[in-house]
Amino acid sequence: MTKQFTFKGAPEMPTIPISLGDMVWNKTGTWRIQRPFYEDKAPPCNAACPAGNDIVAFIQKIAKEDFEGAWTILKEENPFPGICGRVCFHPCESKCNRGSFDEPISIHALERFVADFATSQHKKMKWMAEKGREKVAIIGSGPAGLSCAFHLTKLHYNVTVFESFSLSGGMLRLGIPSYRLPKDVLDREISDMEALGVEIRRGVTLGENLRLEDLKDYQAIFIAIGAHQSRGLGIPGEKRKNVFSGLDILRKINLNKRVKLGDKIAIIGGGNTAIDVARSVIRLGKKATILYRRSKEEMPAFEEEISEALEEGVKIRYLVNPIRIGQKDGLKRLECLRMELGEKDESGRRRPLPISNSNFFIEVEDVIVAAGEEIEVSFLPKGMEKKEGIVLTQKDGSTGVKGIFAGGDLTSNQRTVAHAIGSGKKAAMAIDCYFRDKDSEEAIRQTFIGEGPSISIFRYLHPGERVMDSHIVTFEELNMDYFESAKRQKESKRLIKERIKGFDEVTSTLTNSSAIEEAERCFNCGTCNECENCYVFCPDASILKRGEDLSHQVDYDFCKGCGICLTECPRGAISLEEEAR
Amino acid sequence: MKRVITGNQAVAYGVILSRVEVISAYPITPQTTIVEELSELIASGRLNTRFLKVESEHSAMAALIGASTGGVRCFTATSSHGLAYMHEMLHWASGARLPIVMVNVNRAIGPPWNIWNDQSDSLSQRDTGWIQFYCENNQEVLDTILQAYRIAESVKLPVMVVLDAYVLSHTSEPVEIPSMDEVDAFLPPYCPEFPIDTQEPRSYSVIATPEHFFEFRYKVQKAMEEVPEVVKKVDNEFRARFGRGYGAIERYGKEEAEVLLITSGTVTSTSGIVIRKLIEKGRSVAGVKIKRFRPFPSEEIYKVIRGAKKLAVIDRNLSPGVGGIFAHELRASLYSGEERPEVFGFISGLGGRDITPDLIEEAIQYTWEHPRPEGEILWLGLKK
Repeated sequence: MTKQFTFKGAPEMPTIPISLGDMVWNKTGTWRIQRPFYEDKAPPCNAACPAGNDIVAFIQKIAKEDFEGAWTILKEENPFPGICGRVCFHPCESKCNRGSFDEPISIHALERFVADFATSQHKKMKWMAEKGREKVAIIGSGPAGLSCAFHLTKLHYNVTVFESFSLSGGMLRLGIPSYRLPKDVLDREISDMEALGVEIRRGVTLGENLRLEDLKDYQAIFIAIGAHQSRGLGIPGEKRKNVFSGLDILRKINLNKRVKLGDKIAIIGGGNTAIDVARSVIRLGKKATILYRRSKEEMPAFEEEISEALEEGVKIRYLVNPIRIGQKDGLKRLECLRMELGEKDESGRRRPLPISNSNFFIEVEDVIVAAGEEIEVSFLPKGMEKKEGIVLTQKDGSTGVKGIFAGGDLTSNQRTVAHAIGSGKKAAMAIDCYFRDKDSEEAIRQTFIGEGPSISIFRYLHPGERVMDSHIVTFEELNMDYFESAKRQKESKRLIKERIKGFDEVTSTLTNSSAIEEAERCFNCGTCNECENCYVFCPDASILKRGEDLSHQVDYDFCKGCGICLTECPRGAISLEEEAR
Repeated sequence: MKRVITGNQAVAYGVILSRVEVISAYPITPQTTIVEELSELIASGRLNTRFLKVESEHSAMAALIGASTGGVRCFTATSSHGLAYMHEMLHWASGARLPIVMVNVNRAIGPPWNIWNDQSDSLSQRDTGWIQFYCENNQEVLDTILQAYRIAESVKLPVMVVLDAYVLSHTSEPVEIPSMDEVDAFLPPYCPEFPIDTQEPRSYSVIATPEHFFEFRYKVQKAMEEVPEVVKKVDNEFRARFGRGYGAIERYGKEEAEVLLITSGTVTSTSGIVIRKLIEKGRSVAGVKIKRFRPFPSEEIYKVIRGAKKLAVIDRNLSPGVGGIFAHELRASLYSGEERPEVFGFISGLGGRDITPDLIEEAIQYTWEHPRPEGEILWLGLKK
């Protein structure tokens, strides 16, 4: 609807080239062929978190010095921020886009900081008073079982957890040494579960004093009994006296039981258990040597654990494979072969191959085998057999038996605390869907962070809130003009000579100021933090502020779709689409 | 109040007294101290003016175009490459009929790299539709800024006030600084014809098809043609109030002179001494200072050169392929007249080389001795 004027001559014309009337009718937004819009996207850290933490959201709260808000966000997805902040292998940090700039955000340290802040303020979960009729039994009080119990309770179910041991926590208590996870941190977070309304019955063992038939009152069961059997080496001499299992040693140490060991100890294996055992043994004043049949690159133990072990005096001998445990003059005589690496095997790691006639002997007082853990399923019902080392389940954790779900180490080879927490959460959603007759697979897919498999209970409970596109923001999509190099804040560690004297925690919690400083380093990938760059740069003044604490919106009456807002957005929180005309 | 101040400080005083509301500028030698002075005053809260920091001169002028369209009085200052960088926006300011006042400190344009006095920067912007004034001393600098806002806001064209690098910009002279009240009485607040009204938003600098573009340019020319009268009126009023006046041109020396020396800027002061000395020796010489270069004061000049046989023009600039720009414009303006004295076009002092009394005397001597110049360009002080 243009209006055209034709003047007869110069005298009729205005002095300056200006429209004669107002131009309100001419919305310049009609020139637009592409439309910018605010769209939060998946930050790589959130997407990489097996427990499904909303990492960017809790870090934003820290940056605003709202530590309680950060705790609330962490507790939405994960009952154990204090535990994860300490023992998680933090895959979030390996995916952190800041790693392509200077150093990744110290996410685990921030998580721990928030949890410890909550402890210092005596924060507790609120009791879930309103509960429905359905009852759920959970077998096993490890991270998977407790995570499932936590989320089901928040979904208003009556939950009872059955733990065979006299203390709850599963591997968290029995498998992780307290220099990594102090028992009071564990107790605190479990007691918070009970504050919420989770009932834990201890000393009840499935297959001994509890049978599945006894659980008829429960409309659903979640089995998360873990993997507590040490895998043997299958070599002669393994059954000898003074050949121990790594898990047994850790369990004894964790329960403050007397451990009788000689001075010189060989630990066989390359996983986290082997490292935990070696570092524990060092703390008992012994000499520890790890024997591992592949090289350092293939070692499944976490990098930082390995380097801390080496700092503390643990020796690691690579490409060594014991083939027989003999006995000589009261010592164990390990006959070993030297190995070399061949082609990649099904695990993607290079296969160790023995070098013929390379036999040699290592003499030690005790041998500890830490070559992996296995599950024990003899007492589980039909339809829950062991296949490929685990109990196979459907994607939602359901088993061949109606109403029985399973998760944690029992059903997966990714045996980490974070994976267990994620698996418990998924089972909680699946059980909720089971009761409500919903398509659980689809419902769970709706809660994917990025492409999955990380899932968010917040999105399950609040569809339409904190919406986030599944696209995972890459480093290239960020605008580095707006970031300056800043040093990663590190948790301080106790001196090595102090560390090895006992089982006190190695690392300490960040201070308030360093936590805020670290949180401020976060790029907030894909997440609008109201930095106002779009508002400042828009050449058509078409970014409208919606009030003090609210994010912005585009004024489509006048936005011409130039795209400067998204180019200048430091964090990829604005997208552009073609106008449909 | 009389103070001993540099040309750049005189600029700052002019801006303060004019109650400028928006300043946007980018630093460049030898203009920088103007902006430093003003920005410090603003930062310390002594001057209630909005200072817009920008990343280039192009943006500085663009910012002022916005501010001026919005209806406020605004100012910028630049030099040399900075002015060249503004070029596109200079056309915009005049085409949009915005009364922006800008100071340009004359400096050579590189390469070779040079930060000294030379008029090539401002003269190469002669076709952008800006009124241009060239100043001789620091007092004139201050006074011209006050006048410039009156002129600009009257004819709706931007004004460039030009002063010589270092000779004025960084040299201190006694300057009478008028009081705020006196200036307020001389320079009323700016009232734009088409102020921005958010209740009734208009489209500014709209597209004009071949149907109308022509007439808008015609109007710019008509406005330029009003300038001589307006300048005269404003200067008279200024003289009445402050006791100082300048005019578009200024003639000095013998009433009837055979040779007229034509200069602009600070060379005029030096020339005055030389001419007085030559008159004492019995020579029939006089001088003319051109202050207003745009619009070119053809009529005013024609009136004062009657009777002169030869005109010696000293240009501190070079339009390669043509020669001195003042001489070039002068020749063109004389063509339609009945009297056409010979024009001797001297080029001197490029890139800040001093134009000494000896060189000026040499130019007058040459003009005196030769019936007509031996070429379009006469090189003065060139190391051949």
